[in-house]
Amino acid sequence: MAQKQPPSVDFTLDVRGESCPYPVIYTLETLAQLQKGQLLQVVADCPASLRNVPEEVVKHGYVLEREPEKDGRELYFYIRA
Amino acid sequence: MKTLYVRLFQNYWSPFLVMALAGLLSALYFGITGTVWAVTGEFTRLAGHAMALFGADVSSWSYFKLIGMKGTTFTRTDGWIVWGMFAGALIMVLLNNNFKIRAPRQKRRWAQGFAGGIVAGFGARLALGCNLAAFFTGVPQFSLHAWIFMVATAGGTFLGAKLVAAAWWKGKPVVTKGAIARKAAKPSSVQPVLGAIAAVAYAGLVAYLFASGHRMLGVAALFGALFGILIERGQICFTSAFRDLWISGRATMTKAIIVGMAVSSIATLAVILINGMEPITKIAALSTLVGGLLFGIGIVMAGGCETGMMYRLMEGQIVFLPVFLGNVIGAGALAYAWDHMGIYDTLVKSGSKINLIDKLGAGGALAATLIVLALGFAFAAYWQKHYRFKDGFKKGESAHGAKTTAVR
Repeated sequence: MAQKQPPSVDFTLDVRGESCPYPVIYTLETLAQLQKGQLLQVVADCPASLRNVPEEVVKHGYVLEREPEKDGRELYFYIRA
Repeated sequence: MKTLYVRLFQNYWSPFLVMALAGLLSALYFGITGTVWAVTGEFTRLAGHAMALFGADVSSWSYFKLIGMKGTTFTRTDGWIVWGMFAGALIMVLLNNNFKIRAPRQKRRWAQGFAGGIVAGFGARLALGCNLAAFFTGVPQFSLHAWIFMVATAGGTFLGAKLVAAAWWKGKPVVTKGAIARKAAKPSSVQPVLGAIAAVAYAGLVAYLFASGHRMLGVAALFGALFGILIERGQICFTSAFRDLWISGRATMTKAIIVGMAVSSIATLAVILINGMEPITKIAALSTLVGGLLFGIGIVMAGGCETGMMYRLMEGQIVFLPVFLGNVIGAGALAYAWDHMGIYDTLVKSGSKINLIDKLGAGGALAATLIVLALGFAFAAYWQKHYRFKDGFKKGESAHGAKTTAVR
């Protein structure tokens, strides 16, 4: 599972262990503080996040840089502010 | 074979499909057993057994007379629904190789979950049902109390969403500069094997219940597992169906649950008419309103309702352990307060059982139900389009106010 990292992750938000709705809240809050164009990596392990994090960031106008990745029981999202 | 496995057990299923199936199954379950898919009534009985263990004579409490307290959890269909849901969800989590102890980084979540669980358990039982009997399986029974409960829950979750968005409640996330290294180790495949063994063992248990003449228990154990499988595979969350509307305007779950209730309403009416059954009607009273409000606040505090917490717990989200405990304690507290603290006299007594079929006829009841559900769906879709995190409703505040009142 040695995926290559996208070249320039600016910040990482680690929400492992947190359940809904905090992954979504934290992600949207963090993204709002980033400058446009910066890349945020989100690491989550709440199974529901697989759906609700991508849906909500896209709806709020951010770009999902790649498809969500499952690494074992953890989820990785790359979101461009 | 491999792709089928991936599709069934590694990818989540469409919540719309899942809720439609759950709606059909719950109508079928009603047709067979004459009871509805529900869980909190059994939680209350568990609390009753626990209190009896500590010497309380609960047999004289009128709440336990109302819900029935015969036997043990393993001789009741309601009991097997609960344990079946846990089993079905766990089997799915294991087959997906996705069990992991997930402990919240924010320690405050433990207290929040426990407190929320108590409030939700108390509220649900005050209203005589949770998101199932007073909602997902209550609306298809055309019981008016389910509609009151739903509206009150919407209000409660709104207040709850305000609470959990407060800085002192949600806590600060961990944001670091740059990427973090991934653990490359691939998880072992022992969990799917355990899941397959558990599935076979559980099927054997269901077969045993049938073979030993406990047909209804077998039916309940089977349906319980199916419900557990469905809610885990669809990641069905009644809490998020309301809460996410108020937080970020997400309505996926809302719409899926509405679709499920529409399917279930049609199927349940068919069952009622074909079998000549009486729909299950519960008291609609002030208690339904207050109960729904408390339930709504509680489930948002806890991060999950009495149903959602079941599969979450099986996924290893151990913060739902205090939620479960809280649910049972809250339900027990309500059972005590019912006659000992005058809840029945002040909030329930003046109410009455109202069923839409009696008021509008079978066709009218179905039409009214489907129309209101359709309005709810339209509202959810519209809300999803225009509501944004922090910014709130974008397209004119007046439109939002009008829409909200229209649906309530």
